[in-house]
Amino acid sequence: MSVETAATGATPARRMAPAAPTSWRHRHLIDVDVVTWPEIELIMRTTDEMKGVLARPIRKVPALNGRRVTTLFYEASTRTRVSFETAARNLSADVVSIATATSSVTKGESLVDTIRTLEALGAEILVMRHSVSGAPYLAAEVFGGHVLNGGDGWHAHPTQALLDLYTMRQHLPDGDLRGRKVAIVGDILHSRVARSNVWSLTAAGADLWLCGPATLLRGMDRWATAWSGGTIPGHGRFNVTSDVRAALRDADVVMALRIQRERMQGGLLPSLREYAARFGLNAERVSLARPEAIVMHPGPMNEGVEIAPDVANSGRAVITEQVANGVAVRMALLYLLAGAHEAARGHEAPRTSEAAGTSEAAR
Amino acid sequence: MSPQPQRARGATAPGPGVGQVVERFELEKAWLVDPVSGREGPGEIVVTDGVLESVVWLEGDEAKGVSADGVVVTPGFLDLHAHFREPGFEDAETMASGTAAAAHGGYTTVAVMPSTSPALDEPGVLERIRAAARAGGSPVEVLAYGAVSADRAGEQLSAMGELADAGVIGYSDDGLPVRAPKLMRSALLYAGMLGLPIVEHAEDLELTAGAEANEGYVASILGLAGWPTAAEVNAVARDLAVFADALHDEPRARLHLTHLSTAASLDLVRRANAAGLPVTCDVTPHHLAFTDEWIAGARRWSWEALGADGTSRDPWADAALTAWPYNTSLRVNPPLRTPADAAACLAALLDGTASAVVTDHAPHTAVDKEVEFGQAVNGISGIETALGVLLALVDAGKLPLARAIAVLTTGPAAIAAGWPAVAATAAARQRGLTEGAPADLVVFDRADTWTVTAGSLLSKGKNSPLIGRELSGRVLLTIAAGRLAYEDPAAGDE
Amino acid sequence: MTDRQIMTGDEIRRAIVRISHEIVEKQAGTQGLALVGIQRRGVPLAQRLAAAIEEHEGVRLPVGALDITFYRDDLSLVAQQPIVKATALPFDLNGMTVVLVDDVLYTGRTIRCAMDALIDFGRPRAIRLAVLIDRGHRELPIRADHVGKNVPTSREEIVMVHVEEIDGADEVTIGRQDRSAEPAAAGRQ
Repeated sequence: MSVETAATGATPARRMAPAAPTSWRHRHLIDVDVVTWPEIELIMRTTDEMKGVLARPIRKVPALNGRRVTTLFYEASTRTRVSFETAARNLSADVVSIATATSSVTKGESLVDTIRTLEALGAEILVMRHSVSGAPYLAAEVFGGHVLNGGDGWHAHPTQALLDLYTMRQHLPDGDLRGRKVAIVGDILHSRVARSNVWSLTAAGADLWLCGPATLLRGMDRWATAWSGGTIPGHGRFNVTSDVRAALRDADVVMALRIQRERMQGGLLPSLREYAARFGLNAERVSLARPEAIVMHPGPMNEGVEIAPDVANSGRAVITEQVANGVAVRMALLYLLAGAHEAARGHEAPRTSEAAGTSEAAR
Repeated sequence: MSPQPQRARGATAPGPGVGQVVERFELEKAWLVDPVSGREGPGEIVVTDGVLESVVWLEGDEAKGVSADGVVVTPGFLDLHAHFREPGFEDAETMASGTAAAAHGGYTTVAVMPSTSPALDEPGVLERIRAAARAGGSPVEVLAYGAVSADRAGEQLSAMGELADAGVIGYSDDGLPVRAPKLMRSALLYAGMLGLPIVEHAEDLELTAGAEANEGYVASILGLAGWPTAAEVNAVARDLAVFADALHDEPRARLHLTHLSTAASLDLVRRANAAGLPVTCDVTPHHLAFTDEWIAGARRWSWEALGADGTSRDPWADAALTAWPYNTSLRVNPPLRTPADAAACLAALLDGTASAVVTDHAPHTAVDKEVEFGQAVNGISGIETALGVLLALVDAGKLPLARAIAVLTTGPAAIAAGWPAVAATAAARQRGLTEGAPADLVVFDRADTWTVTAGSLLSKGKNSPLIGRELSGRVLLTIAAGRLAYEDPAAGDE
Repeated sequence: MTDRQIMTGDEIRRAIVRISHEIVEKQAGTQGLALVGIQRRGVPLAQRLAAAIEEHEGVRLPVGALDITFYRDDLSLVAQQPIVKATALPFDLNGMTVVLVDDVLYTGRTIRCAMDALIDFGRPRAIRLAVLIDRGHRELPIRADHVGKNVPTSREEIVMVHVEEIDGADEVTIGRQDRSAEPAAAGRQ
């Protein structure tokens, strides 16, 4: 999507989309569940501008000049960490990186102590990745700055869901996901990417299908059933199935999730070969989707398992775009969080958005 | 009108007057509840030199203006399941802090579990516990269970006979189930021979490996490893079957299933009872009142999260999430379940399937709890808030006051009375307001509230999900065996 | 509080024409000149200057738009005004004389940001500044080369420039209460 110039004087339709300007009021971004659709649109628009920055000869702006962004990764992940650090540097922030923190379970400092130490050392924005679900909430309770979740356990990966959404919108007419079929295939049970995508895609009005072998779908059907009545404000229904052909048929977007060897306890799958045979995204299965459908993957890929090499390298695959969009989305989020309204600097009420005067955390 | 008890003479540590014989205490125009006689109503009591000298029931004009909504007097509570952590984990709780907390909660007798270090698997450790309790100075009676297996390792029986001689009231490996069916059977037989029960923590460890929260809608969204209902039901079914067999060999064998949390397992007990199996069980206040949606950040009582059709309401749909999610004070074994399961726990109390509420008081240090949810130890510090939680049920019309008091007093006493070697001991003594007996009672004010805070809790364990919450039923006075156990600081002022 | 009109549509038009001549005069021609409007209202003003110059010189100068949101030194404004408008510089500014165009010059901080932004795009030979209103109260050593109207103001006052392309009418008002949807446009430094 090209950036229309303002030189014509007329205000391009793209930028007139929001009816009322939304202000950013979240001190942290731990999951997409508390972000409203207007706020998601704000993130998308800001990402557009960040992409503009990335297209310049000097891919840098001084927006976060002098601010300290600290990455605290308890789970090894070079690509995501480098993406966040690149984003921070593109905004002229100072970056401190803790790549392989040791958790309190093995040895080393407790999470709480580590965060207090980092805060004393000047950390303002903490980008965290942790293997235990919910860890960023603990961090947010003790940290005086902003927490940006880079992935926690099986629970959430908000920046991934947002960059996925951004990428999808780039390829759909008018950037509109309403009614568009999105199929996510893989180890849904252990996937924070899947869970965050449920929140963002049901907010976008997409026709979402989660697919995988029954052992890796445990609990998701219960979730889909609970939401089938459309009872969650701002979020629609979604489907769960182990029928991969039904999931892919006429899809506009096909996403494969990595079969995460390290998270699988024994007994969930007979073998990776069987998974590839029954659920892998090969050319034949992908042909069930619409001709212009895109193929996505959060990476890193196990080519030959959840996705065939020829599909991963085909013209329909937008995986490298996802990576580029990831930097822009993370720049947008760092920018918005750093500028979060003064009122949000207090102890942010975790869930209630519109309601004022909510009860304090019962801890 | 709040009571003005006369201070007992000779205040010494641990608290002013705690441990001293109550010389004189008079209470007029209070609501008395006597679960032994089944009577409740306006009345007056007088305690003299540690004895409940008079209990007067008021009638007619004298009774005017006295209701169950004000000051209430009941017998002291009996907790059949608590953890006081001494010896071995004194950072989390000691006998002194535990008994103080118990008295604050209205408990005058507490049975502690052997999950100490060293485990209570031989009499020497029991002696240490008793000595520590004495040194603490509290008149709260401390009873103990011995471990079923040596070091709670689940392999060999502990020194059961010696422990029986030393005075344990039963055996449990609580914190853990008795894994091996053969060992369970042997334990039931051997303990039965000694006239003592096996108190079982029913959990299928294979199904709960790595589990963090109740397997359900909330865990699915929060990305927490699920704790299946089957893990409890499976273990309960096994225990009931083994127990049924054991009874043929030893009619005195007794099984008590503690902290049951699911509708399905309570139903198994109900049917076993109907078939004549003398198995007993209990439920905890947290399984009655909190649910897994609290982990997502809800803070409404379990009955408020129940739809009209008996199904659980959706906290996201109801915008009921008001607190931070993943609060580790909610991590407990068995885990908090659904509102429907909580309702089943209540139904079990009402129909007598579960005749006792136990606290499973599990204090922990901040070091063990202020960590990531999946790494936090299990346990809720609940001995001081049990009464408040039950009164919330009473206030909501879910549980009659008389029944709430019964499950804290005569209910557990009756369970203990069913254990032959315990039946004649103090553990099983009747808990009523009986003239001439040593005073053993609690005075609390339903019209007065108190806020649960780290400061207001006497336990060292501040791991309570109710921190910050106001509970009604402020305990004003607890007298145990004629001695002052707890006195509300404000109430004593003249 | 009532707003007082300090420039009518006609007065704005005349000022634009005058400035367009001044720009060319200072450059002794149109060679090497480019106009860059600062978002938001500097952009249509830059358009109009380019149109006026085309009319009397017959040359259409390159026109760009610059959003300085990412160059502000005050992030606390992000929450209220997170919306970024486009930056579009469809020409190579190396060696060019760039005339920055803005509606109101106040403390000078916006212009400092604009210069920083511009220099990230290349190395102009010179940067000049044309503003419709100069309201005084400079906090940085910044001055405009071309001014439509000098308006002495007090700090409590707000100067608002309305342009037809955005607001539907041309006028400049001064008042004490900020009723605009974009507070920065009115009281902007």
